[in-house]
Amino acid sequence: LRRERSFYCVVAAFAALTLVYCALGFWAERDGVFVPAASVFCGAAAVGVIWLGWSFVRAGGEITSIATQLNCDQTHQIKPCRSAWLKVLTEALNNRLSDETSAQLKEQLKQLQIQNKLLSAQKTHIDQVIYSIRDAIIVVDEFDKVLLANEAAGRLFGFDFATAANKPVSELVEGAKPEFVDFLRQSRTSRAPGSRKEIDFDDAEGPRVFDCRVSCVCDDGGRVCAVVAVLHDITREKEIAQMKNDFVSHVSHELKTPLASIMAYSEMLTDGEANDEQTRNEFYSVIRTQAQRLNRLIEDILNIARIESGLVKVEKQPVSLAILMEEQLQMIRSFAQEKDIRICSEKPIVHDCVLVDKDMVSQVIVNLLSNAVKYTKPGGTVHVFTEVDEISKKVTVKVVDTGVGIPADELEHVFDKFYRVGANKPQAKGTGLGLSLVKQIVEKVHGGNVFVQSKVGAGSTFGFELGLATEVVTAKS
Amino acid sequence: MMTGKKVLVVDDEIHIVHVVAIKLRNNGYEVISAQDGTEAFELAVSQKPDIIVTDYQMPTMNGIELVGKLRQNAQTNKTPVIMLTARSFVIEDDQQQQLGISEVLSKPFSPKELLRSIEDILYAKAVAD
Repeated sequence: LRRERSFYCVVAAFAALTLVYCALGFWAERDGVFVPAASVFCGAAAVGVIWLGWSFVRAGGEITSIATQLNCDQTHQIKPCRSAWLKVLTEALNNRLSDETSAQLKEQLKQLQIQNKLLSAQKTHIDQVIYSIRDAIIVVDEFDKVLLANEAAGRLFGFDFATAANKPVSELVEGAKPEFVDFLRQSRTSRAPGSRKEIDFDDAEGPRVFDCRVSCVCDDGGRVCAVVAVLHDITREKEIAQMKNDFVSHVSHELKTPLASIMAYSEMLTDGEANDEQTRNEFYSVIRTQAQRLNRLIEDILNIARIESGLVKVEKQPVSLAILMEEQLQMIRSFAQEKDIRICSEKPIVHDCVLVDKDMVSQVIVNLLSNAVKYTKPGGTVHVFTEVDEISKKVTVKVVDTGVGIPADELEHVFDKFYRVGANKPQAKGTGLGLSLVKQIVEKVHGGNVFVQSKVGAGSTFGFELGLATEVVTAKS
Repeated sequence: MMTGKKVLVVDDEIHIVHVVAIKLRNNGYEVISAQDGTEAFELAVSQKPDIIVTDYQMPTMNGIELVGKLRQNAQTNKTPVIMLTARSFVIEDDQQQQLGISEVLSKPFSPKELLRSIEDILYAKAVAD
């Protein structure tokens, strides 16, 4: 730099001296004095001036370039300049910039490390969420290789979900469920945004139905890059839908049966098919009893529906079960006498007070007693009693008959809605709702238990168990 | 009117059997009855009715099982059957055809319409024979 500065000084001094000399020469020649070297000096001075001008122009360009580089990227090093002065400037700037860049890079690295940790934690969290979802999830790429599979998928198809990644889906699943793999392929080929199919499984957990929903993931170019399959167990939903259909079918059948009699007999009366007064009276009687049956059926269905939906109004009060039973026995005795059935009852002398809705529990006792009488042949006995367990604070009511009994394989269904024991149907009329109502009232409304024991030909024992009311409650009443 | 023909009426609802029997007897038919499928099959084989009117839902053996059994017996495999049902969609058309069930009537039914169906089926059978 010092050398260049000296050089510029010499050039400038030479140019200045040349200009002075030229001026003096010009002045002398005007006065008739010839200076032969004047023109030579004039040329040299012009070259020096031009060179200096060019140097300034070039320096201006390089300064503009430095400014542009600084504006564009403050972290990038500035290109070295040809001008020695500007070289010093760029070196100084570059030193400053490298210090700032280093600090910025360190800060950026720190931020990136934090972001990396956050992303890693988020990924672990998302993975845990996906793995914990109870629905089976399998994601495959465009070559049918597994990108992700959760624990439920591993359980469903019988593979280890932790080592499933990058394996061909056909290798993991096809043996167990080829139709699932076919469905994945079809969905990818059709590029449908969403498609669904019900797939049946029959494994150690028994027959199950899964709702399989598949969606395609496309890249920016519209190419399918992944296929996501979610399998949801709809076995229970199917069962409930089936139960609902069965219930509607049962209800319509039970309602239509008495209605069929009412309509047929009324048509016969209208058409004059009842020839005499006795037949007409018989027809009227059938219409009346079938209308009553229809009404009873509707009441029972409504009562069960009210209890199941929790809409029933329950008014609990302390009641002695023995007294309640005695009241209901009075109502059933005449019916039992008509059939020549003996009713024995025992009244306990201990505290047997329960906190119940009196009307509902009366309904339970009537249903059990009337069933016992209906399914016991003439000459039989119905034995009714209560047992109090002071230790567990429970009272048990038992209705024991010597009736037709129930086959062992049908016992578990006797409390189901509309269930009637096939072999006992001719024995008595019924809606198949009485015991269902008993179960709902005892278990759902009062938190008790119902039970049944039976032997075909020997008889049945139906009963229920309720918690004893505390002495305090009884005394308050 | 196809008088003197024998009709087997099968239903576990005694009132239905009773009303159908009165309607048919008033119109000159002979009526025999049963309250379940097992009893009905025995009567069909022993009494050889001209036509059977049976309910679908019955204890021990339902209407479809009864017809299936009737079709396997040489004595009853051609006997026309009318089925009464309080259930919807229990019998598919192809099943009805396969079992040779002449007609399915839904409950509640009209005794008048039942009589008309019996007459039509017996008339068609008489013409065919």
